[in-house]
Amino acid sequence: MRNEIELEAIIEDYLKGKLTADEQQAFERLRANDPIVDHRVVAHKVFLESMQQYADILLLKEQMDAVHKTIDVDSLSDDLKPHPSKIVRMWRNNKSAIAVAASFLVLAMVMLYSIQSQTKKDGSFEALSREVNKISRSQNDLIRNIKSNNTPKSSATPAKFGGSGFAISSNGYILTNYHVIKGADSLYVQNNKGASFKVKAAYTDPVNDIAVLKISDLSFENLGSLPYSIKMTTAGIGEAVYTLGYPKDDVVLGDGYVSSKTGINGDTLAYQVAIPVNPGNSGGPLIDNNGNIVGVINGKQDKVDGAAFAVKSKYIMEALNAIPQDSLNRRVAFGKKSSLKGLKRDKQVAKIQDYVFMIKVYN
Amino acid sequence: MSIKLSSSVPTDREVVLGILNNSEEALNKLYVAYFPMVLQFILNNNGDDDDAKDVYQEAIIVLYNKIKSGSFELNSKLKTYIYAVSRRIWLKKLTQHSKKTNNITDFEDVLVVDDDVEQHEQKDMQFDKMKVALEGLGEPCKTIIEDFYIHSLSMQDICEKFGYTNTDNAKTQKYKCLQRLKKIFFQS
Repeated sequence: MRNEIELEAIIEDYLKGKLTADEQQAFERLRANDPIVDHRVVAHKVFLESMQQYADILLLKEQMDAVHKTIDVDSLSDDLKPHPSKIVRMWRNNKSAIAVAASFLVLAMVMLYSIQSQTKKDGSFEALSREVNKISRSQNDLIRNIKSNNTPKSSATPAKFGGSGFAISSNGYILTNYHVIKGADSLYVQNNKGASFKVKAAYTDPVNDIAVLKISDLSFENLGSLPYSIKMTTAGIGEAVYTLGYPKDDVVLGDGYVSSKTGINGDTLAYQVAIPVNPGNSGGPLIDNNGNIVGVINGKQDKVDGAAFAVKSKYIMEALNAIPQDSLNRRVAFGKKSSLKGLKRDKQVAKIQDYVFMIKVYN
Repeated sequence: MSIKLSSSVPTDREVVLGILNNSEEALNKLYVAYFPMVLQFILNNNGDDDDAKDVYQEAIIVLYNKIKSGSFELNSKLKTYIYAVSRRIWLKKLTQHSKKTNNITDFEDVLVVDDDVEQHEQKDMQFDKMKVALEGLGEPCKTIIEDFYIHSLSMQDICEKFGYTNTDNAKTQKYKCLQRLKKIFFQS
């Protein structure tokens, strides 16, 4: 009996690792030689482990019970038990589902909106290219629809469309865009002092979007020598340029630079310029800082900021060469030094604005 | 300061580290933090607050054992885990009492925790087995064994507590109790 108790105590100490190294070795030898002792060790180990688990969980439960007493279960139950109202119950039960549904709805709306704006954009590009196919280059033409009631002196009805143009000779030849005057019944030009003159189309070039008008009004007086000349060479990217035009009833200056040597879709007939232009700027001269005309503003691209286009000056020359030379009195110079060179911008504009006209189209 | 700030709902990391370090405070915070969630679930699914207490404590034990065994990975929120375990345990209890379990009202996402709950059931059986065996011992054996193995009293303390004349007698008594307990435990 006493031996049994001692053996049990040794087994327990052995399993708990309380034996000294010598004792442990001795006991392990005993274990190896005596299967009965060995089995008792294994059985006691299983028992101790079960006991340990039992103890752990029991202590855990005791601790949890202690915490549980600190919770006011009754008032919590009152708050959380099924609500008599069906709607409140439904809200509580499906809170997450409702949240998911709501966020899905928001997401769907955002997607729908973005898809819509996407297709809108695609549509405008299509429209743009169609326009390009139709008249080759003049996209989103900058013809102004005049809605004001200012009736010109020489006309009973207000002008329907407007554009800009500039003198290419002192005896009243005005250059503008073909798309400005296309389909016109009658044409008038108005200078910056407000005087209107009747004009006729003298030359049109739909491919290059250029038209030359001739003032036929008797009240028109000779313009004197033109301050600007036409640049023979092409302008480089980055060259500072400005334009004068009539997007409203007064002449407006637009400032910018040449941003590309080609127009829309790589069109080599035109420059791309970064100038703020508006309907009514079509046909206005594009002038560099030395007072040379480098192009004629003729359009801008939809949905792209700061992309306006101008017909290159060499096509102006072609147009001029197509007109009988003896009818042009003191015509604009090619490639010569302009009299504006070296002047400040405001002085240049003051001189040029007398030669820039508003084109008024009636149809 | 930072400890005070996080006093209401402990972070998951805080709880896991706390349990691994045997921190009572971490467990208490955990217990208080998520009991209302389980209470709400049980109350809305044919249970009362006593059921909620039992189920919740079992779920905490499952979590505790899982963390202690080192197999717990924080790939879901503790809240979600506790909810899923509680839900599983409560569904089993409902089927045992042959109450309907189709129309369960849920309040949180539901994880699949069947394995964990099954493991827990086996452990729970062991627990009940030991409990029954101890109950079957009768006094003073039950208290002697509990004091020695659960409350870790020394034989000296037990000798004094029960009034044995010397520790050898106490040891003999403990030996006899232990033999009986083992017999009941291994035979049942």
